[in-house]
Amino acid sequence: MQIRIIPGMVVMFVLCSGSGLYAQEPDSIKLEELDAIAVTASFTHKEILSSPLVVDVADKAFIREYFTGNLVQTLEHIPGLRSMDIGSGFSKPVIRGMGFNRIAVLENGIKQEGQQWGADHGLEIDAFNAERVVIRKGPSSLMYGSDAMGGTIEIMQLPAPVDDGFFGEVVLFGKSVNGTVAGSLMLGLKKKQWYTKVRYSEQRFGDYRIPTDTVVYLTQKLPIHNKKLKNTAGFERDASLYAEYRNNGYYMSYFVSNAYQKTGFFPGAHGIPDASRLEPDGSSRNIELPYSTVNHFKATTRQQYSWETITASLDLGFQNNRRNEMSEFHTHYGKQTRPEKDPDKELFFSLNTFSASAKVRYFGSETLEYTAGSDFQYQHNDIGGYSFLLPEFERTTAGVFWITTWRVTDRFTATGGIRYDHGRQEISPFRDAYLVDYLKQNGYGEEAISAYEWRSYEVRRNFGDISGALGFVWNIERGHLLKINIGRSFRLPGANELAANGVHHGTFRHEQGDPSLKSERGWQLDVGYSYEREWLSASLSPFVSRYNNYIYLKPTGEWSVLPHAGQIYRYTGAEAIFAGAEFVLGVELPYGFSYSFSGEYIYNRNLDEKIPLAFSSPALMRNTLSWSAKDIKVHLELESIARQTRVARNESPTAGANLVHAGASLNIPVKQNQVELTFLCRNLLDKKYYNHLSFYRHVEIPEPGRNFQLLIKVPFKTK
Amino acid sequence: MKTRIILITAFLFPFFIISCDKDGDTTPPNINLISPAEGEFLEIGNEDGIHFEAEFSDDEMLASYKIEIHNNFNDHGHEHSKAEESTTPFFYQNSWDISGSRNTTIHHREIIIPENATPGNYHLLLYCTDAAGNESYVARNIILSQNEDEEHIH
Repeated sequence: MQIRIIPGMVVMFVLCSGSGLYAQEPDSIKLEELDAIAVTASFTHKEILSSPLVVDVADKAFIREYFTGNLVQTLEHIPGLRSMDIGSGFSKPVIRGMGFNRIAVLENGIKQEGQQWGADHGLEIDAFNAERVVIRKGPSSLMYGSDAMGGTIEIMQLPAPVDDGFFGEVVLFGKSVNGTVAGSLMLGLKKKQWYTKVRYSEQRFGDYRIPTDTVVYLTQKLPIHNKKLKNTAGFERDASLYAEYRNNGYYMSYFVSNAYQKTGFFPGAHGIPDASRLEPDGSSRNIELPYSTVNHFKATTRQQYSWETITASLDLGFQNNRRNEMSEFHTHYGKQTRPEKDPDKELFFSLNTFSASAKVRYFGSETLEYTAGSDFQYQHNDIGGYSFLLPEFERTTAGVFWITTWRVTDRFTATGGIRYDHGRQEISPFRDAYLVDYLKQNGYGEEAISAYEWRSYEVRRNFGDISGALGFVWNIERGHLLKINIGRSFRLPGANELAANGVHHGTFRHEQGDPSLKSERGWQLDVGYSYEREWLSASLSPFVSRYNNYIYLKPTGEWSVLPHAGQIYRYTGAEAIFAGAEFVLGVELPYGFSYSFSGEYIYNRNLDEKIPLAFSSPALMRNTLSWSAKDIKVHLELESIARQTRVARNESPTAGANLVHAGASLNIPVKQNQVELTFLCRNLLDKKYYNHLSFYRHVEIPEPGRNFQLLIKVPFKTK
Repeated sequence: MKTRIILITAFLFPFFIISCDKDGDTTPPNINLISPAEGEFLEIGNEDGIHFEAEFSDDEMLASYKIEIHNNFNDHGHEHSKAEESTTPFFYQNSWDISGSRNTTIHHREIIIPENATPGNYHLLLYCTDAAGNESYVARNIILSQNEDEEHIH
C-alpha cells in the first residue's frame, strides 16, 4: 500500500502547488563515468538509477544486435522510440509521438542542429560511431532548453581503455534490400593521459526493393519496375576525430566530425505522378535528379576541472549544416527563367550554429548536490536556389538553470530544478517577384497579390520561457525501482511556423506561418516502475502530458490561389494531450532460452478540434524468443504493428502488419581478440506494409521488403 | 482509508482527462470525376467550353470545390515549336461553393480554352473540401489540341 500512497502524495503536492518546478537528470553519470576509467555493465544501471526520467541505454551489444547502418532504425527496438523514414537510407527519431524539433539529439554534449523541422530530412550522424546511446523519455527542457520537450537521444563515446596501446577495428556491412556495401575503419591510441581516436566510414546503396510492382497513387497506377523504387540510391561518407587529455583534476576533449550524405528521391513522390518518369534508367545504383545532398560539420570541445567539492565544465561547439535539394529546373510562373549558375539547385540552406554551455557542480554535503549552469546558442540560416521554402533567419537563445539533488536516504533521491530561457528570433522577409507577375497575369487584384507576394514575413520576436522539473528515484527494496517525474518544458516556434507562406515542395500544401505564435509549452508526468529478479524483469512506464499551445498545421478551408495547392494550412496552437505507456517483460527460460515482450501505446488528441494529431505512432508489440550459448546468440522476433485509424484531417489511416525478423550473432576468438559476426533478416516473409510515419506513405509506397544483412567487426590491438 | 482513495485518485487524475467526448470529423469527401476522362483530348477555342461533370459527397457536409488546369510541358523535355511561340500556356483556376448538402452532382461548361492556348499535355486537378476542412483531390492528364479527334500531338 505504501507504494501507492507516496506517488499519490508527490503528484498531489505538485498538482496543488501548481508551481513551475520540474525535475531532471543531474548529469552526474557522465562525471562518474569519466572518473571511472574502466567500463562496466554497471554504467547502464547507474544511468537508469540516477535519473527520475525514464531512461533507456543502447549499449554496444544492443547496437550490434540491431545495427541497420542507420542509427535511428537501430534504436527503434527501444520501446517508445520510432523511426520516421525517408526511403531506406535516412530517418529521424520520434520519442513517444514527438518528433522534429520536439526532441533533441546530442552528440558529446552538444545539441545536433540540422534541418530537423522538415519531414524529408534525416539525422546526419555516423551510425558506426555511436558506441553508446542514452535515451531519455520525457520533458528535458531543464537541461537542454527549447526543443527537448519530448526527450533526448544522447550519443556518447565509450571511455578510454585502461591500458596504453594502439587499437582499432575494421567493420564491414552489407544489406540485400538496397545492395548496401559499407565499411568503417577506426584507429585509436591510448598513451598515458592522452587518448585519440579517428574513424572513417562509407556507405553506398542502390535503389531499394519493395514487395510490390505497382503503387496506386491518386487513382493513377504507377509501375514499380523490377520491384525497385527508382532513384532511391544513396551515398554516405563520414569522418571524425576524437581526442582527450586528463591530468589530475583536469580533463579536456575535442571532437571534430563531418557527415556527408547524398540520396536520390523517388521521382513519383515529387510532383504529380507520371508513369513516364518511372521508366528504369538502366542502373539501380545511379543517383539522378531529384536528389539531395547534405553536409554536416561539427567541432566541439569540453574543458573541465575538478576540485575537491566542485567540478566546473565548459562545452563549446560549432556546427555547419549545408543542404542542397536538386531538381530539374521547373517553375509554375512563366517569367522565371532557368538560372545560369546551378540551374537545377532548387533549394539550398546553410545553417551555422554556435553553442556554449557552462556548468558548475557543488557537493554541499554527503546528501546534497547542486548544479548551476548556463547555455547560449546562436544560429544563422542562409538560403539559395531557384525555389523558396524556408527564410533566412537568426536565432539567439540563452538560459540559466539550477538543479538540486537530495539523497534523502540510500534508497531515495529527489531532484528538482528550475530554468529560465530567453530567445530572440529574427526572420528576413522574402518577396517572390515571379509570383507577383504570375498573379497579375492571371488577373488577380492588389488584395490577392498583397496576401501572397511575401513567401516569408518579416518577424522579430522575443520569447521568455520558464521550465522546470521535480522528481524522485526510489529503490523501494531489492529489485523494485520506482521513478516519478513531473516536468514543464517548452519549444520556441520555428522559422517555418512563424513566417512561411507558400506551397511546401514535399507535401504540396500551402503552408502559412503565424508571426504571432507563442512558444509551445507543456506539462508532463512520467512514472517508471521496474522489477528485477534473477530470471524475470519487467517494467511499466506510463506518461501523460498536456500542451497549451501545441503547434500544428490546421486546414483553414480557404482555397489557395497558388498553382498545385489545395486549401491553405495555417500553423495554429491548440490544447493537446498525449498519454501512453511502454511495457517490457523479460523471462529467462531453461536450456539457454529467453523470451521477451515489449509493447507501446500512444494516445493523443487535439482538444480544440476534438480529433487526433497527425503522425501518431501506432501501437506496437514485439515478441522475441532468443537462445544463447557461450559465443553465439540467435533470436526470432514477431513484430506486430497495430493499424492506425486515429488520424488528423487529411491524413490517411495505415493498416497494421505482422512482421517476422530473425538474427544471429557469433563471436570467433582470434588471438586475444573477438571477431564479431552478426546476421540479421528483417521482414523474413517479405510482407507488404506501410509505416504511418514514413515520408513516402503519402504516395502510398510500402516499406522495404525482405532484407538480409551481415555485419562483420574485426577489432585489433597491440601493446 | 479515505485519504488513500483521494491520493490514488490524484495519482490517476491525469488519465481521466483523456475520457473521450464526440470526435471531430476526419472523413474526407468523395469525388467522382466523370468528365473530362483520363487522357481526353480537349479542343482549343471551342466556345461551348469543357464538358465538366462530377459527383461530390461527404458524410457530414460539403463546403467547396476547386478546379485547376496547368500545363505539364516539362515532362518529356518538350521543345517549344515556332508555332507555339505565338500561343500562351493555358492556366485555369476557379472555385465554387457547394455548402449546405451532403452530396451533389455538378454539371457545367464554364471552362473555355481560349484560341491562343498552347497545345500539349496538361493536368486537371479537382479539389473538394467539407465543412471541417477535410480535403480530397483527383488528378487527370488531359491533352489540349487544335483538333479534338487528333490521335497524337507532336
